[in-house]
Amino acid sequence: MSKALVCSCEDVTVSDVKHAVSRGFCDVESVKRYTGFGTGICQGKNCLSAVAALLEREKALKPEAVVPFTPRPPLYPTELRVLASAPVDESQPPVGGVPQELEHFASALRPEGSVPAKAKVVIIGGGIMGLSLAYNLALRGETDVVVLERGYLCAGASGRNGGGVRMQWGTPALIELAKRSIDLMKDFARDLGVNVWLRQGGYIFLAKRKDVAERLERNAVLHNKYGVPTRIITPDAARDIVPGLTMKDCLTAAYNPEDGVIFPWAFLWGYAQGCQKRGIKVETYTQVTGFETSNGQVRKVKTDRGDIACDTVVLASGAWSPEVARLVGVQLPNEPHRHEILSTEPLKPFLAPLVSVLDTGLYFSQSMRGEIVGGMGDPLEPAGLNMGSTLRFVKRFAEALIEQMPQVGSVKVLRQWAGCYDVTPDNNPVLGRTPGLDNLLQMSGFVGHGFMMAPAVAERMAQWMTTHESDELFTRFNLRRFAEGKLEREDMIIG
Amino acid sequence: MRRLPDVPPRGRAITVDLEGESIPAIEGEPVACSLIAAGESVLARSVKYHRPRGPYCFAAACSHCLMRVDGQPNVYTCRTPAQAGMKLERQNAYPSAKVDVFETIDWFFPKGLDHHEMFAGVPVAETVMAKVARQLAGLGLLPREAADPLPPAQTLRTHVAVVGAGAAGLEAARVLSTRGIPFRLLERDDVLGGRLAHGAPEQDAPHVPEPTAFPAGSVMTRATALGLYDDEHGRYLAVVTRGEEGPRLIKLYAERFLLAVGGHPPIHPFENNDLPGVYAGRAASLLLRRYAVAPEVATLVGWGPELHALARLLDERGVKVAAVVDLRGPLPPDAHPTACMGAEPKAHGLRAVSALSFEAQGSGRRKVECDAVLVSVPVSPGFELARQGGAKVTFDAKAGAFQVEADADGRTEVPDVFVAGDITGAGTAKAAAAAGHRAAEALAGGLS
Repeated sequence: MSKALVCSCEDVTVSDVKHAVSRGFCDVESVKRYTGFGTGICQGKNCLSAVAALLEREKALKPEAVVPFTPRPPLYPTELRVLASAPVDESQPPVGGVPQELEHFASALRPEGSVPAKAKVVIIGGGIMGLSLAYNLALRGETDVVVLERGYLCAGASGRNGGGVRMQWGTPALIELAKRSIDLMKDFARDLGVNVWLRQGGYIFLAKRKDVAERLERNAVLHNKYGVPTRIITPDAARDIVPGLTMKDCLTAAYNPEDGVIFPWAFLWGYAQGCQKRGIKVETYTQVTGFETSNGQVRKVKTDRGDIACDTVVLASGAWSPEVARLVGVQLPNEPHRHEILSTEPLKPFLAPLVSVLDTGLYFSQSMRGEIVGGMGDPLEPAGLNMGSTLRFVKRFAEALIEQMPQVGSVKVLRQWAGCYDVTPDNNPVLGRTPGLDNLLQMSGFVGHGFMMAPAVAERMAQWMTTHESDELFTRFNLRRFAEGKLEREDMIIG
Repeated sequence: MRRLPDVPPRGRAITVDLEGESIPAIEGEPVACSLIAAGESVLARSVKYHRPRGPYCFAAACSHCLMRVDGQPNVYTCRTPAQAGMKLERQNAYPSAKVDVFETIDWFFPKGLDHHEMFAGVPVAETVMAKVARQLAGLGLLPREAADPLPPAQTLRTHVAVVGAGAAGLEAARVLSTRGIPFRLLERDDVLGGRLAHGAPEQDAPHVPEPTAFPAGSVMTRATALGLYDDEHGRYLAVVTRGEEGPRLIKLYAERFLLAVGGHPPIHPFENNDLPGVYAGRAASLLLRRYAVAPEVATLVGWGPELHALARLLDERGVKVAAVVDLRGPLPPDAHPTACMGAEPKAHGLRAVSALSFEAQGSGRRKVECDAVLVSVPVSPGFELARQGGAKVTFDAKAGAFQVEADADGRTEVPDVFVAGDITGAGTAKAAAAAGHRAAEALAGGLS
């Protein structure tokens, strides 16, 4: 059948690009994500200029706004075993990272015209937290809401995570939120008209050290108490679920077949469309520059596209929350920490669950498209907003992955990138009112797992905001706990 | 495609195994070249619509030629030397790439398939689709065995790392040699020259020096730069070299980086531009000049000086050129006799190209029979490494491509990153060499 291809790796046609533009995805990064162009084997070498020229010709973008998507290493598909051989000094903390991409987005991308002069609720951050909250407010009849996003949808951690969703947590609060989230994800396509490809292939946590094994065992009991069917399995049973897994140095494993993986970007598109249909404004490429306060209240949010007078402000900026909070004189205990991740060539299905070594934070799964997607935290990573990629990460990850699955050694990496975890002292979120600024609500500090919590957290938060009924979630995770020292640490953090 | 008659073979005649069938090949030439010369035009099926695919760019810059080679998935056969007994399998097809039942997806969805919204929220259909999509997704198969061990990685230091041994990189290396400045010249091909070695010959093009013209050890061929990274010791290129013992990783630290990588052959969107038999212009000149493989009858489509230079090359080598369709013009005075201005090209054919049709200026739609459509448009500058290094990249609306911003001496916004040649916008080899010269002089200034 006759088709004009613009990205042949992913079978993206000229009409697919036009369709994306008609849906409001006009900048190169957004068109890349919506159509999938440039995400295949060639990583844009063949297609990027053709798509850019098409967007310019179609007048989707001003010429100055045609900027390329970030070129990610490696430049050519590279075997994991080659990357694993890189000499790296792991006794030193990581330095640097490329490309640097934290500077402001091109001003030509900023929409013309100003933001609404007033709104009941202003949500700062168009990631999954902010958008799901806005959508849930709309469901409860509150549509006088503006969502502000400094870049394109998916520019922050919501567009950079590995898509894992799990119920295996260490505290009842998070277990219950995750369970509810996964239920909501099952209905997402019905409710919002966009496929999110939830695949419940399970999560297997592996433990190498005795204390970690004991933690898994302890948590499994807790999971069962809350209706999560986690079970402790032997290394042989783990190998039955994941053929080829070595289980090298692993003592035990915990498996919940109901955990899974999703396609993260679609959630943002779905929520944003759901909001816009109900009259909520989602303002992308719009940066918050300051606040106006009086009598312990935020009165206005200032942006580079005008000021918005408002009754309530929600801070849902993930790793950027401390930076935004400082603009209004609020000190948050959150710290941004870079976490790196990579994706390989697409392979036919071979891996059902997401596998994670809890001791090291290694995790890997197979995406709906067949890529191995995985990451591993770096214990020496310093705090800071850094989204550059390092060879050090791919080396550490490749080595750890090959140890558990030797046959992936010659599988090729297509791209690596990074995002920032929003880390709190007790690995738990910051929710609820801000002491001293009553109408500034916090919705941050999810330590790299906010994506999977968002649907449930947003539901509870919208209810709490619109009904004023008390909800223990917003006292339990209030900022005050850090001053009062009432900390209950979450110990199931990976990545 | 066929081998030109009366050209002596450039290597040992061998056979490779294509899904159980024995196919003649020439040892050492890209195995995709051997396959198309043997009449095997379909090497793969595309990821979503299962459209037939044959090699396009011969530069590892698309995905058309990916095959399973000796059990390894997604191998660029356009860059993989043929070896006797090599086992080749086409991917993503059932029961075979020639007769693939999933080709029906292409026919069922003539206007394309929006997988974001298809069956979204429809009970049962949604679940079935997710299961089917998972089975259909992916390209290759996970290798069965653990990979062999590799030679240990190396760390090297030099004053100047020059990436790309085309016209710009070679001239820069010559200047650096003359000045006695230590450098490393990286070339991912196994020969020097870039387009000088495999493009359509240009007037006044500089000649390609032998590797021995440079200080011993300064030229590294089969060396692919993967990224321009930094760490606690400074900025370095991650490079992979391909030798007898297998791939080896090299960290190459340098005080200055001169990126002279040229450009990628881009896709040009037109109907059926992915049909087997549609090739990038530079692929056609490479196949002809290096391996004496050429179409029976070619039509050329595109614009710019390379389009017409390619027509000349084909003509000189006795390859029939049925039409040269210039989409932008004006036609140069020495254009091929069949050259004309045209628009809206469309490739025809079921499994492989059989014709090209187009709107001929002033004379309506024309259809020309051929076995290859050669798409020659200016290259897309390879800005990736420069951007990783912090250089500014801008869009040239007239050229329809991104390019690295630099001054006349190749200085970018970053003090240690210089650029020269097509990376700043497609041009002639002569201009690229001059830019390489200026950049080498400029960057040598600050070095001791």
